[in-house]
Amino acid sequence: MFTLVRLVTFTLVAWPLAVVAADLYAGAPADAAAWLRWLGRAAGLVGFAWFLLAMALSARLPRFDLALGGLLSLWRMHHWLGAFSFVLLLMHPPLLALANVPAGPQAVLATLLPSLDAWTVWSGWAALLFMMLFLAPSFSFFGAPHYQRWKLLHRFSGAVLILALLHALALAGLLKPAAAGWVWGVLAAVTAAAFLWRLLLSRWLSRRQYRISRVNALAPRVVEITLEGPPLEYDPGQFVYFTPLDPSLPVGRGEEHPYSLVSAPHEPDLRIAIKELGDASAALMQVKEGTLATVEGPYGRFVPPQHEGAALWIGGGIGITPFVSVARAFTAQSASVDVHLVYCANDTSRAYYLAELEHIAARQPGFVVHPHYFAEQGALSASFLEGCTADYRQRVCYVCGPSGLLNLAETILTGEGVSRRHIHMEEFNLL
Amino acid sequence: MKRFMLICFAAFWSSVVSIWAYAVLATDGVADSVTEQRVISISPAELARHAGTDDCWMAIEGVVYDFTTYIPRHPAPPVVMTDWCGKDATQQYRTKGYGRPHSPAADALLPQYRVGVLEQSE
Repeated sequence: MFTLVRLVTFTLVAWPLAVVAADLYAGAPADAAAWLRWLGRAAGLVGFAWFLLAMALSARLPRFDLALGGLLSLWRMHHWLGAFSFVLLLMHPPLLALANVPAGPQAVLATLLPSLDAWTVWSGWAALLFMMLFLAPSFSFFGAPHYQRWKLLHRFSGAVLILALLHALALAGLLKPAAAGWVWGVLAAVTAAAFLWRLLLSRWLSRRQYRISRVNALAPRVVEITLEGPPLEYDPGQFVYFTPLDPSLPVGRGEEHPYSLVSAPHEPDLRIAIKELGDASAALMQVKEGTLATVEGPYGRFVPPQHEGAALWIGGGIGITPFVSVARAFTAQSASVDVHLVYCANDTSRAYYLAELEHIAARQPGFVVHPHYFAEQGALSASFLEGCTADYRQRVCYVCGPSGLLNLAETILTGEGVSRRHIHMEEFNLL
Repeated sequence: MKRFMLICFAAFWSSVVSIWAYAVLATDGVADSVTEQRVISISPAELARHAGTDDCWMAIEGVVYDFTTYIPRHPAPPVVMTDWCGKDATQQYRTKGYGRPHSPAADALLPQYRVGVLEQSE
């Protein structure tokens, strides 16, 4: 099933390239103008196809993300496909206009800005302008994006889909030959379904309601929230999208944000840990017990569910959460593991899960916890890792934490000869 | 990545504005020369005499054009045009043979190939 999803996705990414290459194979352009026309059409076609794919990938169906390596790698794919499609679609009008230079300035002008009744061209322009509007925050064209505004603007992708489809159907001859028409039709239908699912249907069909039964302050500006409600099937270390509904929240009520689960799958209740990082998470520090919230998920595949082989975990700050979930799951199993966890915190007061992790480590054979305090010991170093376990270079490494720690850990590990294949990072800044 | 996207965004607008400015400035002269043309009446028999690939006239919407020099520049293979030399190609121009009209850019190309108007048969 997962192999099929992966195969279909990669085929669809390659498919428009094959279409434009086949066009070239059928007859090479005769002169420079014909080359420009071919490039312009190819840019439009490939750009539109990748736009559709990027949009279809954003459906965020729980568990389907695992087929493509977890939600984070799926988002990364969405981000790159979106960026490439945007660049290609920006090239599409100037290339077609330049292709008409030998035919004279009137033809150039009519390609770029035709008469007002040429709706097929204007729908393409409108699609491109809407695309600029909704992608401007994604690429920080006008300063750092505001999370909610960015999500709201991204809804304009629906308008882009309709306008671009009208433009492409009228001018690009997408329905010729019939087989190609079917691929475009299915791709556009799946994309439209993905958009509707994310915009409307997922609210009713995928989000499940929970009651906040406990709010536990772990440290200043960090809380652990316990949620009572329907059982959720998940793997330790996965995350969910959490939407608080507490009417007393000053900001962030009804807004969804991703948080790591810190509970283990065998526990009756869900638990998430939240650090104050923005307006919405700051408000959650005061969320009331007994209020309602919704949860959608699970997503992600950071730590594999089976613990075969030797592993090194490095967790920093709130990035300790996926490891807490996996460690709590250890308590429900009897098999021994081979895991060294380096818990990076600024000082003892910020190592909020340390006592529990050490408690689990005392009972779980093969699980060792090493606290590292930045204020006392300085930045994490190769010699510190050496002191934890001499064979750390041979271990599969999982790192989760702020970007500074991710970069540092990557530098240390690759510098010590650990293959990039064996370094897995979890970062949330894409979401 | 963000920097690269911003550069693409800026490059797009500067190229679109440059191309537009070039086209607007260069169009002034062309428009004048087109409006100066006299109205020449061409009979269907006269049109039919220009039916070869080396001398190709066509009528579209009642106007006669000499496409001899344009045929090699046409995006589709020449045969889609040469079949219509010496004939009224209005329907073909409107549908391209599969129900899609020609682009506004194609419409803008027409005036420079104009040779006259087709005499209406009574």
